[in-house]
Amino acid sequence: MAEAKRTKSMQKKSNLKVGLIGNPNTGKSTLFNSLTGARQHVGNWPGKTVEKKEGSFKHGSYEINLIDLPGSYSLTSYTEEEIVTSAFIFDENPDVIVQIVDAQNLERNLFMTIQLIELGAPLILAVNMIDTAEKKGIEINLGMISTLLGIPVMPIGAKTKHGVDKLLDTIVSQSKRLGKSQMKLKYGTEVDEELSKIKDFLKTNGYKSSNMEWTTIKLLEGDLRVEQDMTREPYYLQLKSLVEKSVSHLETVFEKNIHTILTRTRYGFIKGLGKDTIKYSENHDQSLSDKIDNFLTNKFLGIPIFLGVAWLMFQATFKVSTPIMGLIERMFAYIGSQSLSILEKIGASTWTQSLVVDGIIGGVGGILVFVPIIGILFIIMAILEDSGYMARVAYLMDKFMHRLGLHGKAFIPLIIGFGCNVPGIMATRTLETKRDRLLTILVNPFMSCGARLPVYALFAGAFFGANQGWVIFSMYILGIIIAIIAALVLRIFLVKKLSSPFVIELPPYRWPAFRGIMIHTWEKVWIFIKKAGTLILAFSIIIWLMASLPVGVEYGSQDSFAGTLGETIAPIFEPLGFGNWQSGMALTFGFVAKEVVVSTFGTLYGVSDVSSAEGVTSLSTSLHNDFTPLSAYSFMVFVLLYIPCMAVLAVIKRETNSWRWPIFVATYTTAVAWVIAFIVYQGGLLLGFN
Amino acid sequence: MPLLSEFYKNTTVRITNINCGADFCRRLDALGLFEDTEVEIIKNDNFGPLVIKILNSKIALGRGEADKIYAEEI
Repeated sequence: MAEAKRTKSMQKKSNLKVGLIGNPNTGKSTLFNSLTGARQHVGNWPGKTVEKKEGSFKHGSYEINLIDLPGSYSLTSYTEEEIVTSAFIFDENPDVIVQIVDAQNLERNLFMTIQLIELGAPLILAVNMIDTAEKKGIEINLGMISTLLGIPVMPIGAKTKHGVDKLLDTIVSQSKRLGKSQMKLKYGTEVDEELSKIKDFLKTNGYKSSNMEWTTIKLLEGDLRVEQDMTREPYYLQLKSLVEKSVSHLETVFEKNIHTILTRTRYGFIKGLGKDTIKYSENHDQSLSDKIDNFLTNKFLGIPIFLGVAWLMFQATFKVSTPIMGLIERMFAYIGSQSLSILEKIGASTWTQSLVVDGIIGGVGGILVFVPIIGILFIIMAILEDSGYMARVAYLMDKFMHRLGLHGKAFIPLIIGFGCNVPGIMATRTLETKRDRLLTILVNPFMSCGARLPVYALFAGAFFGANQGWVIFSMYILGIIIAIIAALVLRIFLVKKLSSPFVIELPPYRWPAFRGIMIHTWEKVWIFIKKAGTLILAFSIIIWLMASLPVGVEYGSQDSFAGTLGETIAPIFEPLGFGNWQSGMALTFGFVAKEVVVSTFGTLYGVSDVSSAEGVTSLSTSLHNDFTPLSAYSFMVFVLLYIPCMAVLAVIKRETNSWRWPIFVATYTTAVAWVIAFIVYQGGLLLGFN
Repeated sequence: MPLLSEFYKNTTVRITNINCGADFCRRLDALGLFEDTEVEIIKNDNFGPLVIKILNSKIALGRGEADKIYAEEI
């Protein structure tokens, strides 16, 4: 009994919780991937849209649970990422925090190190890319840095895995001994006096903190998190006025903002440390990275080059994925027909047959059909991001996107939307702030996706003959115009804060890590299948139920609930020129996927094969009974703008982590669609079109 | 006092004053951009963001943001 208890406690001891932290572009993900390999678990931080990555592996007799903290530059509460990071260090009591820093940019990276040390984090510094720094003529005395900071400092190569084993040994050996660093930053007599005033006040009032130093400094800095904690104390108001007095005293003495005073001290310390430990040999040669930048961010060439890259990306994604998608569709059609014959043989009811074939197999197929598109797109996106080009894209496009209240980086998710809005919305993850992400997600559905093209092709072909190319093109342009207006309006009413400041690092170009890209892509695909997939399947089954109930109706016929719904809503479309029940039904089923609008018309007009040439012709003829050229155009406009398909709504739910936004998108896009189609139709009538 | 956005490329300047809100200031602090720091202008196309070099890293800074930062040539 006692023995068992002992082993249990020993086991517990040999589990280590390690947090990995660092500035963006320091090789953090690469190190995380090489340590955990494919054994990763990806989720969201509770209540946040920030991704949480964890991975476990054994080192010696230890089981290490490594948590990849989002890349950030400091520990303040500027972005969601930073909030998540500091919350982890505070609330989850990690055994070790490993900060990975870029040897080429040590001073900037050390700013966060100072904050971590002040916080009392059990810190190990892993210095990455030290060989690259040496090649650039930067010599670093790691031993001395370790002595001055009072923490272990290890050289590593995240990509080459050089020194990684040693780092793990250090994590294990230091895990028990690693306490707070004894290093104490001297803020100068004036500041220290004020700090001890606050400290004394807290002590007399019986406030207990594991890290008093840090709490007082953060109070002086006006840190939101600490202040919020303090509101619970009965002496909060007294404390607040004391802190305010200290701040205004210091600000008058130094004639500087309190943050500037503290930041200057921190950087002053880093500068001093740098002088002692880092040697730069004069090297005036332009680096390769700078040479590439002269070309890729050139005033005149930059944007054309990027548009070329974007075009290639778009082409590659959709050219490569279309045949694979076709294959998946055929595979599911085959599985469906095989299951159908089996079900017929065993004498299952037509109702069961339809549930299995149309509902479940069709639903699963509807999820998997997105996999090739998402997979290929994210491989390309990861290459752009890893190589450092994505940051340049943001720089180049910011000039234009900024005027719309969108971030420069928002351009890529919007372009992807022309292929499919699902990966377009998933791609908004590259944006840093919640606000930028949200605004980009909300306007994305107006980018006319590939699934809307068959609808345009059918109607434009049937009604506009020689001009059909222009008519279809006008749809894409209209989508862009509406997206721009929506961005301008939403930014005023909904996402009140003005565009977040545009400050991004342009990291040196590097070769992307193949392994990391594959892992990243697989994660994206898996999350889509798991999280969005379940929702899509649920929607599919609901639609199936609506199409097959009440019992006994033909699937998707006029008598089904869906048919009745289509008929009921048809009058709403009367002022738009297509108040016929067929349109109402086609639009209802269009929620599954917009191209379903075409096949629904096919079913309703009794055309079996809408993809064959004869099918299209006979469908066009039938459409002439219910549509005029003007109402056909109005219908196309409506299909472009109205409620996005269920997969898009599912992805919005997943990305915003709330039902509020998918419901909002469904409502506002449909309202916009109605208004614009109304203007088109009624305006057209007034101008004498029909 | 001239604005950061008024300097041509390849000039090195010292930041004299930054007129920023709390969040934005914290962000600039973390990047090493605050009063008295030296900054090199890498690129200034007179429209769109500036590219500056702070502590060995290249930072793109929106023009609107650069218009809130005052500097002097050194």
